[in-house]
Amino acid sequence: MSLPLGAFELTVERQQIPSRLVRMAAPTASVAFGLLVGAVIIWASGQDPILAYTEMAKKGFGGRLALTGTLVLATPLILTGLAAVVAFRMKIWNIGAEGQLILGAVASSGLGLWLGDNGIGGPVGIVLMLGAGALAGALWAALAALPRAYLNTDEVISTLMLNFVALGIMNYLIFSSFSHWRDPGRATFPVGRFVDDSMFLHRFTGRLHIGLFIALAAAGALWWALRSTRWGFEVRVTGDSPRAALYSGMRVDRKILSVLMVSGAFAGLGGGIEVGGVLGNLDPRALSLGVGFAGIVVAALARLSPIGVIPVAILVASFTNAKPGLQVLGIPSEIVTLLEGILFLCIVGGEWFLRNALRLHRRVGPVEAAAS
Amino acid sequence: MTDESTPAASTAEPATVQASGGEPHDAARLNAITKSFFGVPANDRVDFDLRWGEIHALLGENGAGKSTLCSVLAGLYHPDSGEIHLDGERVDLASPQQALEHGVGMVYQHFRLVDRFTVAENLALGHPETGFVTSRRSLERQVAELGRRYGLEVSPKAAIWQLSVGEQQRVEILKLLYRGVRILILDEPTAVLTPQEAQSLFATMRAMAADGQAIIFVSHKLDEVLEVSDRVTVLRDGERVGSVETAEADPATLARMMVGRDLATPDRTRATAGGAALSVRGLFADGDRGLEALRDVDLEVRESQIVGVAGVAGNGQRELAEVITGLRRSKRGQIFLGDVDITRASTLQRIKMGLGFVPEDRMRTGMAGGLPLASNLALKAYRQPPLSKGPVVSQKAVEERARSLEKQFDIRGVRWAMPTSLLSGGNIQRAILARELSAGPRVLVAAAPTRGLDVAAIDAIRQILLDERDAGTAILMISEDLEEILDLSDEIVVLYEGRIMGRLDPDEASPEVLGMLMAGRTVDATPETAKDTA
Repeated sequence: MSLPLGAFELTVERQQIPSRLVRMAAPTASVAFGLLVGAVIIWASGQDPILAYTEMAKKGFGGRLALTGTLVLATPLILTGLAAVVAFRMKIWNIGAEGQLILGAVASSGLGLWLGDNGIGGPVGIVLMLGAGALAGALWAALAALPRAYLNTDEVISTLMLNFVALGIMNYLIFSSFSHWRDPGRATFPVGRFVDDSMFLHRFTGRLHIGLFIALAAAGALWWALRSTRWGFEVRVTGDSPRAALYSGMRVDRKILSVLMVSGAFAGLGGGIEVGGVLGNLDPRALSLGVGFAGIVVAALARLSPIGVIPVAILVASFTNAKPGLQVLGIPSEIVTLLEGILFLCIVGGEWFLRNALRLHRRVGPVEAAAS
Repeated sequence: MTDESTPAASTAEPATVQASGGEPHDAARLNAITKSFFGVPANDRVDFDLRWGEIHALLGENGAGKSTLCSVLAGLYHPDSGEIHLDGERVDLASPQQALEHGVGMVYQHFRLVDRFTVAENLALGHPETGFVTSRRSLERQVAELGRRYGLEVSPKAAIWQLSVGEQQRVEILKLLYRGVRILILDEPTAVLTPQEAQSLFATMRAMAADGQAIIFVSHKLDEVLEVSDRVTVLRDGERVGSVETAEADPATLARMMVGRDLATPDRTRATAGGAALSVRGLFADGDRGLEALRDVDLEVRESQIVGVAGVAGNGQRELAEVITGLRRSKRGQIFLGDVDITRASTLQRIKMGLGFVPEDRMRTGMAGGLPLASNLALKAYRQPPLSKGPVVSQKAVEERARSLEKQFDIRGVRWAMPTSLLSGGNIQRAILARELSAGPRVLVAAAPTRGLDVAAIDAIRQILLDERDAGTAILMISEDLEEILDLSDEIVVLYEGRIMGRLDPDEASPEVLGMLMAGRTVDATPETAKDTA
């Protein structure tokens, strides 16, 4: 690869794996660089970058309400981030967390409503409801996982397409039918029926609910499972080299199935927690905001570390949380979206610079001949 | 060390210069080339000169810096310091394209051909004079003409995938000649060839040299170097040890220059073979493309016996190893481990029954290259105590076991959390053997156990295999290296197009007979082959 620049030429050379220290420092440097680029753009658009950044920090983290709001937004992001982490670790590209989250919400709200109708509620109801969400997410993922494991179909296509199917199912249940999920009392604009109050997730201060701690526990559990179990060992080996996994007697097909189902379970649990902790019903408008896709970004920024997902999800959530507040101050919310994109590009770009070196040479041949 | 490449030697008029007559300069002169990768010099102030009309061998172990030096000359790497002169003119080669423009081309070990294109199309591809519309007929005529001139016979209309490895290599050379290359670098070209194909390559090299072109021949095989080259430069640890005229060189001196010590020859003691440990009967299997890769293969390996499977790559060796180890299904036939029929057993069952496997593809099959070595050493043992209790794997036990295997098998260069793929080939192979042998196998299938390794590592690996045989293990060794087959095997079988062409006693087998069988020729001396020709 080379790029001619007058009498010079820019070429790319591959580097060997850099040291641990460099690898640790690189994302920090990338984020700093991204913030700098963002500052220039904010400044160029006529805003004060320092004001914008301080306001973003304030609206995202300053004070109890801002902070708990951010954490509540981060909760489903952590779970869809984990969904992406576990699948991507094995180089299984689950792009279907969105659909798995929706199906999780459908199952959770459905079971929650049924339990309420039959007089069951409280902690037992909550556990069953969230369990149904995780299970539904896992089964929805299995629809893509089975053909991937046994017929080697492309999971990118199947998981992606299943998102639209899931969205269609949810919209049908609320907008196009008088289903178990739809509130019959509201004829003007269709909404989902609310589950019994006893099944709302416990709230602490502000809007903060117990779901955050479930998500944190899930991150810890995934970290431990990947690091210290036979299953995690097999996932790591299969992800690095499926042939080496087969060679050492591992069942790669089952690993694909289990990994995709675990991935779906995380996303489905996220859907259940949104129903139980925030929405209280199946709300198509609140559940189709792209949390599943955002999870992929979170996982990538966290370099597929289950623990790293937590701070990244909180940071991304703080951006989202800060948007309306910034708008009030006259800073367009697009600035925040822009900044997210810039940060992502910088971090991904930083990775590339870890592995490749640019080199400027004097060009030889015709140019030099002409000069001499 | 000796440095016989005196100024006098390089100014002496090479006798072979004819076609390029009157050229006063060396074809190439590299002065004090230094190229480091992350502070580690792969080439350290290496001088090298190449005359027109000579075949100049570059000899050295793996990691000696041969490939780096060639890559610098071929424009793939830019040296940190040092000068390159081509035909007396100082040049700066920023890319392989620029090197090609200066008439320098390299044939890599892994060919860079488009499988579905014909020979002629591959030659036209990337050629500066290939226009939007190109006459296929004139192209094919030129290819045939070039081929005839240098003994590189290959049909211009054949698609690459239809060609043997040897023929593909000819296409690579043709491609460079067609681009007008006059300095040709061949990186271990004989590694993939039968002895007959190698001879034909040597004839081509001589024809080109006689035509006044300059050839760099990279190898770590002494015999070949002595046979074909005019001059030898030896590299060791990134430095030039010296250059000698081949006519004045002898194998022992060269080997010493290369290794820095005398070579140990593996002992040819034979162990007394015991009962049958691995038996293969009437085995048929398909290859990756669905073509029959194994045809009616019968084999038996007894305890304390090494059976060597000779053959040119692509004649069913990989499929044989995979079917035996459970990575590929057989179509017909049976496989027994001792008395137990394992034809339908899973890979895991076979591992548990004591079948070890050293695969030819070390980096993707034998190892998960991106994982640290400790994990790779646990690839099979992770299922049982002490490495795991129930579903939990003890990271500490994995590390401890790795430390002790590293010590026992002299695996060096391991740093914590470093990807296994960064280890040298010799250390990786030691590690694979460490893992397979620590399981105490009854039968070991070893495919290309020393391919691409340096001399010291080859010695060590062979000694490990011999010791393991003496300890009672039955070893099926698949190798393309004839000397290895002859040195280690207690019995030799030759695979050709998925069939067993012959069975030989290593004491009675000569490289010539083996080479003939490997090339699919029947030899009168082997009655076994009579039925195949019938």
